[in-house]
Amino acid sequence: MAHEAEHQPLGVFECQLCSLTAPYSYVGQKPPNTQSIILLEESFVTKDPFTPDKDRFLVLGSRCSVCSRLVCVGPECSLFYSKRFCLPCVQENVHAFPQEIRHDLEKRKVPWKRPASQPSTQA
Amino acid sequence: MPPPRTREHRGHWDRPRAPSGEEAPEKWDWNCPETRSLFEDAFFQDEDYIRQGSEECQKFWTFFERLQRFQHLKTTRKEEKDPGQPKHSIPALADLPRTYDPRYRINLSVLGPDTRGSRRPGRRLPPERVSEFRRALLHYLDFGQKQAFGRLAKLQRERAALPIAQYGQRILKTLKEHQVVVVAGDTGCGKSTQVPQYLLAAGFSHVACTQPRRIACISLAKRVGFESLSQYGSQVGYQIRFESTRSAATKVVFLTVGLLLRQIQREPSLPQYQVLIVDEVHERHLHNDFLLGVLRRLLPQRPDLKVILMSATINISLFSSYFDNAPVVQVPGRLFPITVVYQPVEAEPTVSKSEKLDPRPFLRVLQAIDNKYPPEERGDLLVFLSGMAEISAVLEAAQTYASHTQRWVVLPLHSALSVADQDKVFDVAPPGVRKCILSTNIAETSVTIDGIRFVVDSGKVKEMSYDPQAKLQRLQEFWISQASAEQRKGRAGRTGPGVCFRLYAESDYDAFAPYAVPEIRRVALDTLVLQMKSMSVGDPRTFPFIEPPPPASLETAIRYLRDQGALDSSEALTPIGSLLAQLPVDVVIGKMLILGSMFHLAEPVLTIAAALSVQSPFTRSAQSNLECAAARRPLESDQGDPFTLFNVFNTWVQVKSERGGNSRKWCRRRGIEEHRLYEMANLRRQFKELLEDHGLLAGAQALKPGDSYSRLQQRRERRALHQLKRQHEEGGARRRKVLRLQEEQEGGSSDEDRGTAARGAGNNVDIQDVKFKLRHNLEQLQAAASSAQALTRDQLALLKLVLGRGLYPQLAVPDPFNGGRKDSDQIFHTQAKQGTVLHPTCVFASSPEVLHPKEPEARAGEGSRDDRDRMSSRHQLLTFVSLLETNKPYLVNCVRIPALQSLLLFSRALDTNGDCSRLVADGWLELQLADTEGAVRLLAASLRLRARWESALDQQLAHQARGRGQREEEEDEEEAPVNRQEVAALSRELLQFMASKVPYSLRRLTGLEAQNLYVGPQTITTAPSLPGLFGSSALSPHPTKGGYAVTDFLTYNCLTSDTDLYSDCLRTFWTCPHCGLHMPLTPLERIAHENSCPDAPRDDPAGAEEATPEPQQKTSALQRPYRCEACQKDFLFTPTEVLRHRRQHV
Ligand SMILES: [Zn+2]
Ligand SMILES: [Zn+2]
Repeated sequence: MAHEAEHQPLGVFECQLCSLTAPYSYVGQKPPNTQSIILLEESFVTKDPFTPDKDRFLVLGSRCSVCSRLVCVGPECSLFYSKRFCLPCVQENVHAFPQEIRHDLEKRKVPWKRPASQPSTQA
Repeated sequence: MPPPRTREHRGHWDRPRAPSGEEAPEKWDWNCPETRSLFEDAFFQDEDYIRQGSEECQKFWTFFERLQRFQHLKTTRKEEKDPGQPKHSIPALADLPRTYDPRYRINLSVLGPDTRGSRRPGRRLPPERVSEFRRALLHYLDFGQKQAFGRLAKLQRERAALPIAQYGQRILKTLKEHQVVVVAGDTGCGKSTQVPQYLLAAGFSHVACTQPRRIACISLAKRVGFESLSQYGSQVGYQIRFESTRSAATKVVFLTVGLLLRQIQREPSLPQYQVLIVDEVHERHLHNDFLLGVLRRLLPQRPDLKVILMSATINISLFSSYFDNAPVVQVPGRLFPITVVYQPVEAEPTVSKSEKLDPRPFLRVLQAIDNKYPPEERGDLLVFLSGMAEISAVLEAAQTYASHTQRWVVLPLHSALSVADQDKVFDVAPPGVRKCILSTNIAETSVTIDGIRFVVDSGKVKEMSYDPQAKLQRLQEFWISQASAEQRKGRAGRTGPGVCFRLYAESDYDAFAPYAVPEIRRVALDTLVLQMKSMSVGDPRTFPFIEPPPPASLETAIRYLRDQGALDSSEALTPIGSLLAQLPVDVVIGKMLILGSMFHLAEPVLTIAAALSVQSPFTRSAQSNLECAAARRPLESDQGDPFTLFNVFNTWVQVKSERGGNSRKWCRRRGIEEHRLYEMANLRRQFKELLEDHGLLAGAQALKPGDSYSRLQQRRERRALHQLKRQHEEGGARRRKVLRLQEEQEGGSSDEDRGTAARGAGNNVDIQDVKFKLRHNLEQLQAAASSAQALTRDQLALLKLVLGRGLYPQLAVPDPFNGGRKDSDQIFHTQAKQGTVLHPTCVFASSPEVLHPKEPEARAGEGSRDDRDRMSSRHQLLTFVSLLETNKPYLVNCVRIPALQSLLLFSRALDTNGDCSRLVADGWLELQLADTEGAVRLLAASLRLRARWESALDQQLAHQARGRGQREEEEDEEEAPVNRQEVAALSRELLQFMASKVPYSLRRLTGLEAQNLYVGPQTITTAPSLPGLFGSSALSPHPTKGGYAVTDFLTYNCLTSDTDLYSDCLRTFWTCPHCGLHMPLTPLERIAHENSCPDAPRDDPAGAEEATPEPQQKTSALQRPYRCEACQKDFLFTPTEVLRHRRQHV
């Protein structure tokens, strides 16, 4: 089969915390097709699947700057504060972070309980 | 890594020149358009992430304004002091910024204008403003990233939560070990979207997934592409009739069953696929059943081909056992408990005996829900009704109820609604209000609506049933099957526990058939048989279907195809048949296209064929609207409905091509559903491509080059259209809206205006119009349309001939007493069905007088109201596209044609008496001619014309048959398929023939008469001494009818009657004007002599050709010597004759 010219997936990104998977098409700090944006971390990038504009990218995740785990950018897995930190590492070193971030983490804990009402399974 | 740079180097700018012109920078105004455009010039250029003027750009400024307000509130907050902690031992944590700033939480940076070349105009902007702007831009981009990632994560969560997610591995493993796997799971388990993705992830790259409906192909390809995150990449594509997003990179393609069958027709081993997913096999569509049969035969030859059958949990063992007990992976549905309430409808004596459905049992359910469940407990109602009439009966009553209670929004759902109206069922009701969706069985398996808690099941369904005897499609109401009842019930339990009200008794349920009747047992099998013939799968009667069709349907289909000339007497495909099998259209439409292209009438025939292939564009509501009817009147043609549709389409194209023409408004004013016209345009284009592909129509001629200015103009217009379309798409797909309570007042009518509302406020673009103009060459269409308006009388008459021959034998004869009936009560009879009526939209229903055989010179007075036995030269027949029975048998899409001439030209069987004054066509219509001499002349002329028409058609088909592949090499020899002059001469004579005025009477034979029509085989067979009466044809006694077979359709003197006994006594003396012969002759003998008189002038080329006793008819340069190895004989054959001959040996 012929190759797709652009956005040919390089591989599949998988978050080591939540196991979200998605194919990525670029790793680095300068996403393709744009000159004006620079990423501040070495990121796994895919084409934004929610827009027909093929120049738009979406950052999937990167490595935690403490433990090097590959984590997604989702707020349940990591945060960015001048670098990427996975949440376990943030929890462990919570005092190294400014108050605003600690506040945010506190706040997040409360509403982020998943609804438990799973439907029953019938044959 | 350093934190993002936000400061500009000071002193880089010359002077602060705020565009407001003021010197004071503190009076900065972000809302000033000039200011904004300066920043846009600097940051939003073509190569930037956001482009000036795009919707994204607008969104940014909205975001910017909000951010400004927000930050204004925030600045009052006190900044946190640096806690002054010691440096962290982990290096990554050691250099965290001490002072918190939200920008540190953003993982990207935007380059300022100064860093990107000196062309950028941003260098003169004040640096504080630049950083303010950049900061906002950063937040905007970050917000966009978060939003998109949130959607992605949600999507993945939802995928993982689907019931089928647990079974992906098992399906793949089973597929590894077996050639066929059945995946059974109910709608909503995710099989259609997920299984293709599992295959993709497992590395398969040649996957086809068939769907019964075209629309599903598109939506699934979109959905799967989206979920596998390559929505606009090309791994996932779809292919439907003439529309394809498939490319070399496509790994999964969704396609219709019909299209896959066509691919098999071309390459029987399907080498292009590794895995074939056949979805929705439980629906038991005709072509799906056939595909299963074909696959069962194919599998042993393709051991590497894998097949996945996907089905709802209905009758799974049938599929498994058909494929040698294929393993079944059953995916449990995700259903909450559902309470079933049996609420049988009691016969209510108060209701009048009208056929209208009583809505009261349905209203009682609405009431019961209102009484029992508090409005704050959400949950909508889905009502299953049998058809559109039932939906509108309940709709009316339910809306009245809803306007009292203000607790319901009532919405109809059926396939005849416009897409925009169908989409409304996915909108949400305001708080405290429930949706009540009145649906046909479309919501049973095809459309999934979330949030349904209550289901009302009427237990009925309207389905097409087919009466092979009358060849009549009937829309009839049936009880549903138990399987359907369970599907309907299941709709109530998808989002929570639900209730299903069954408006029938439990004992009724027990009496339901377990499964619905498969389509193969319900519909006409013509196209199926044609396809089977062209795929050479052998005799359809012995094909191993999963469940065989009724033998009577098969026989009818075969007979029909023979009648239509698609099969010959040995049931082999004729040349026209094999062409028809390649055209994915109805047989009669295909015939019209072929015939039309021969007479150089391709353009009008394309339009008519397209118009006859889509649903009627006339809206129901407009039928009773006098204004609409009046506005429509100028478009009506008294020739018949196809011509009215033809006028509608052409005028619509004209409106569209006028500058500023508002076609939407034009349609609305005339009660026309514009959507159908768009469909016609698409279909017309597809037909045209088909004809071009098959060499029946010269390829699109390059448009006249035109001057460079107009070309530039055109390019500019196209670019503008593309931009409009892009803007529309960027505006995003239709989002869910909250329904308005008043909505119901507008009712269920499909009003295009509401489609506009869905297009988003402030955007007044008619996107359909934009798409239409991008898709079609409006100039070409307009040229076709205006040439259509200039159709000459002759062309129109030829067009009617083409339609008549295409539609033959779908004929109806007016009842003799129609003259005395009211307009709407006109009755017509077909050969198999008596007492059919006209559809109310039919032009002949409003002006039936054009059908009456009134002679202009005839008695002006009353005369007899009975047209039986009335002598007239103007008797007419109706030829129709289909016969549909709902509450009455309706003739759909009628054209009037002159009776005698049409029957002479089209009949498959034409029987005469001794002097040809009495003719019986196809054993059911009797014509009595006053003048024997005229009758014989007309008959002889029709024989000549038929022969020539046939041979012209043969040449056309021969050209087509060898066109593929060879056409390029022989270009010079075969510029035009059929000699233009020959066709012109034929057309001229056909027209003359049609215009001939011979008084005759027309009558439908009674059953008894039809049974005793023929004299039967005669013991004494003396050939009549009438050489040349019917041209050069030799006469031979007819084995069953008696009389003499003149051609394969004409039998002379086989009718029982008493006149021929005396025919020999009717001799009178006559002198031949050419040779002077003077003898007592019968009229027939006279004509026979004239035809063969050696001294007669041969001015009539047709007559000459027939009269010269040439053994070989002139057939053209197409004949080549051919030696058949099978029968060891030499022939002189055209390519079609070779094909025909070869088939004898197969
Ligand atoms: Zn994660
Ligand atoms: Zn970490």
